[in-house]
Amino acid sequence: MNRRHILKLGALSAIPGSLLAASRAWAQAKDPIQFAAPVPMSGAFAANGKYADLGMKLAIEQYGQVLDRPLAYTVLDTEGKPATAVRKVQEIAQQKGAKFWAGGILSSESLAMGKEAERAGGIFITTAGADEITGKDCNSATFRWSVPTFGAIEQTVRPLIESMPRAKRWYTITPQYVFGDGLLSAAKNIFKEKGIEHVGNSYHSLTEKEFSGYLTNALAAKPDVLLILNFGSQSSDTLRQAVSFGMKTNTTILVAWASGLEQFESLGADLCEGVYFGAQYWHGIDSPLNKDLVQRTQKAFKANPNYSLAGSYICTRIMIDAIAKAGTADPAAVIKVMEGMKYDGLTGPEEIRAQDHQVLKNYYLLKGKAKSAMKDKDDYADIVSSGQSFLPIDQTGCKI
Amino acid sequence: MNVYLLQVVNGIGIGMLYFLLAVGLSIIFGLLRFVNFSHGAFYLLGAYFCFQAVQWGLSFWLALLIVPLVVGACAWIIEKLVLRHVYAQPHEFHILITVGLALVVQEAVILVWGPLGDNVATPAALAGVVMWGDFIYPKYRLFVIGFTSVFAVVLWWILEGTRLGSAVRAGSESTEMVSLLGINVFRVFSLVFALGAATAALAGVLAAPIRGVEPFMGIEALGIAFVIVVVGGIVQSVMSTLWPEGARLMIYVAMAAVLLLRPHGLLGRG
Amino acid sequence: MTRLGSHVQLLLAVATVLILPLVMHSGSLASEVLIYALAVLGCNLLLGYTGLLSFGQGIFFGLGSYALGIALTRFDLPVLATLVLAVVVGAVAAMFVGWFAIRQRGTYFVMLTLAFSQMFYFLAYSLSDITGGDNGLLDIPRPALGLTGRPLLELSSPWQFYGFVAVCFVLVFWALLRLTNSVFGRTLLAIRDNEARAAAVGYDVKLFKLAAFAISGGVTALAGAFLALMTGIAPLSSIEYHTSEMILVMTVIGGTGNLFASVLGAAFYVLFADWLSTLWPRWLMLLGFLLIAVSLFMHRGIWGLGETIWLRLRGRPPIDPDDGSVATLGPVAPAAATGTTANTATATTRSEKRP
Repeated sequence: MNRRHILKLGALSAIPGSLLAASRAWAQAKDPIQFAAPVPMSGAFAANGKYADLGMKLAIEQYGQVLDRPLAYTVLDTEGKPATAVRKVQEIAQQKGAKFWAGGILSSESLAMGKEAERAGGIFITTAGADEITGKDCNSATFRWSVPTFGAIEQTVRPLIESMPRAKRWYTITPQYVFGDGLLSAAKNIFKEKGIEHVGNSYHSLTEKEFSGYLTNALAAKPDVLLILNFGSQSSDTLRQAVSFGMKTNTTILVAWASGLEQFESLGADLCEGVYFGAQYWHGIDSPLNKDLVQRTQKAFKANPNYSLAGSYICTRIMIDAIAKAGTADPAAVIKVMEGMKYDGLTGPEEIRAQDHQVLKNYYLLKGKAKSAMKDKDDYADIVSSGQSFLPIDQTGCKI
Repeated sequence: MNVYLLQVVNGIGIGMLYFLLAVGLSIIFGLLRFVNFSHGAFYLLGAYFCFQAVQWGLSFWLALLIVPLVVGACAWIIEKLVLRHVYAQPHEFHILITVGLALVVQEAVILVWGPLGDNVATPAALAGVVMWGDFIYPKYRLFVIGFTSVFAVVLWWILEGTRLGSAVRAGSESTEMVSLLGINVFRVFSLVFALGAATAALAGVLAAPIRGVEPFMGIEALGIAFVIVVVGGIVQSVMSTLWPEGARLMIYVAMAAVLLLRPHGLLGRG
Repeated sequence: MTRLGSHVQLLLAVATVLILPLVMHSGSLASEVLIYALAVLGCNLLLGYTGLLSFGQGIFFGLGSYALGIALTRFDLPVLATLVLAVVVGAVAAMFVGWFAIRQRGTYFVMLTLAFSQMFYFLAYSLSDITGGDNGLLDIPRPALGLTGRPLLELSSPWQFYGFVAVCFVLVFWALLRLTNSVFGRTLLAIRDNEARAAAVGYDVKLFKLAAFAISGGVTALAGAFLALMTGIAPLSSIEYHTSEMILVMTVIGGTGNLFASVLGAAFYVLFADWLSTLWPRWLMLLGFLLIAVSLFMHRGIWGLGETIWLRLRGRPPIDPDDGSVATLGPVAPAAATGTTANTATATTRSEKRP
């Protein structure tokens, strides 16, 4: 059963996983520990939300209970809108006393929910990308599992430069806002250090879908590498159009901030072959926890875990494990436990840095494979390299 | 020099697709005085039906022919059953009902094909690029330019040279007169709506290999179509006072100018 | 539609405000109902009373959020002052947009408001030093209400906040009731029904439309400001086209015939969306069907539906929606707004009985 089937079943079913888990909780007389998954279930990011919901469901059902109390969760449709997200988490904190939130796909909603978590005395752990989440907008209630812009660039641009010493001309395509600029400046620093010629940059808006103009500029600059710094459907559009312009023949393409399996599925193996992708997660990671997750996901949904599912799963697990370790479900105590917590994560050993609540984990450089080389229908890419790169605390701008 | 040429050709290429989108909307608005917020939904359906047809093994060329007809037929039915009843109502109900329709179509697409989005391969005959010295351009996009130009000529011929076209154009001046002449105005309405929708679907089919398919592509298409229709309308009203015969021509000149100078739309970032 | 006395409407509004805390558990959700009710009232003033279909309400909503956000984060003004500031900003912006938009009629008016909506979105996105860009304005505090520096009323708990919003809402509702029942309100209706005649009688149509815009903008901005105060953020999405679309949808769903219908529309949409989104991720499809149903069968919105049921129960015949009598406040097919072609189309459809 492929991914689309899961989504269809999930979409058609009128009973979200949360209700099923909750009903089991009510059956026992004990007071359940309430979790919430505030993610976009409708609107442009609905696909991410759907998998995030499944990820939390998997974790909640796997544990069932902690500290002798059953676990329950609710999924909240943020619709991708920060104000709606804040209102709904405000509400669930009051109605159900749900203080443990894992979610936030978009940076704007995640930043907003992080602030609300601090106000409401809860814990919010997210996979959103904006540097400010563990940077200048960090706070005691917010944690982040994904690697921000510095690490994403360090672990993709640097290894590629080192493996292609003669590729000296790089062209960048960047979305014009804080996040894009973060990726770009990190890249420019490495360019300067390694003597790379930055032959040009094209800025574009967040709603752009037509990249041919930028690509023709890029072509004119005759780059060795095309570095794509946008994300989501924009990176898919840029890649698709770049390939249609024949750029794969003379240029190496690197999509620095790719989403992994979801993206490969929507692009197809032919487009992805020979292209480099930076990813937060890949189901092919060789770590005990990841192998376990792949098994569980195969069993529950007959498919491999993608980034949205895996991210949500590990974020939920982190909180559950921390509650168990703290011996109490009081968020303040759990936060203390989470700060500095080391555990075996999906990417190998992971640690939550105490000073900015950033999880220290690997970021991966993947390379797309030829269709003929795929061992199964999800085997789109091989891991080329991985590693942990994070800005030192004094440079993140975070003061908790 | 070549970069400039490339940008011009590219502008025309993008412009042709946008033109296809706008022309359907403009016909519908011109005759039916109907503000159609579901125009993007037909573009979306065109793209997804094309994707599905290719999944089923049909060739892209067959899809190019069949899909607009299928979508046009769906639009005909929708117009007859649902939309017709609100013509006499104030504008807000035209907008409301077509917004509702667009939502239903979008969510239905997600139900059937999932929210992820997908790829449509460029037909084999058009894969690859044309190289002319430093000038590199995808063959498929050149095809889009050529095809849309031909289509535009055909459409112009239909509107100017046939009885149906005369009825449509006369109807946009006065539906009462047209019906007094014995023409079934309602059938013309349905046909026009279907034609507009089919044009949008055609744009969707053509766009699919360039942009892929995803459930929210209709929203962007609608925005673009409106901008172009409005610009065209403004130019037409200005030209009608200055040079009536050339009014229609000037719409296209203006549109071309807009697209060349601001290829990301009037309001997008350059 | 029977004339609904303003006393009855005010009573209904007060009743709603009192009932919400009794039937709802969430102060935040209840506040959100009233917040959007304010926005819908602003939109209805333009649509139902002046015949202007504006796709730009999101502009004023978003500007209200930003105004309050900037005032509270950068200038530390007292809360009441920031709310007044938001209203002023909204009114001024609305006059600006309106001044341009009312130069066109019918669909081109709609398109102009749409274009402005996109322009303001683009501005908000670009001026990220002021608005926070895509991240939005964050860390908006919710200080206690005070006079001359001394705190009088805490707003920190959801129900405390609701209480404050409820009082402001009733005041604004009452003010709008007085306004729409005054000579000004009746002039707006006259303009809506037949602009040429109103002008011929000697009214400065442009000035009245501009005034309607200003009031609408002010009220909508107030709503945006309350939302920012409640959520602590002024996000980019508040000034997006989608916000304008949803406010318009709520307005038409509720019914454009009277002011209380707007409260119904907002309440229905907010609660419906909130409840449905917990059941089915594809709840937007149901919304789509609802919009189609309203356009086909329920032109006077939920209010009209309620009225029809009420009259049926009392054994009276239902109201003809196209009754053009002066006493009605319903949306008669406005000749001025749709232009002559639609009139011809109407004539044709009405007489169509072809073999």
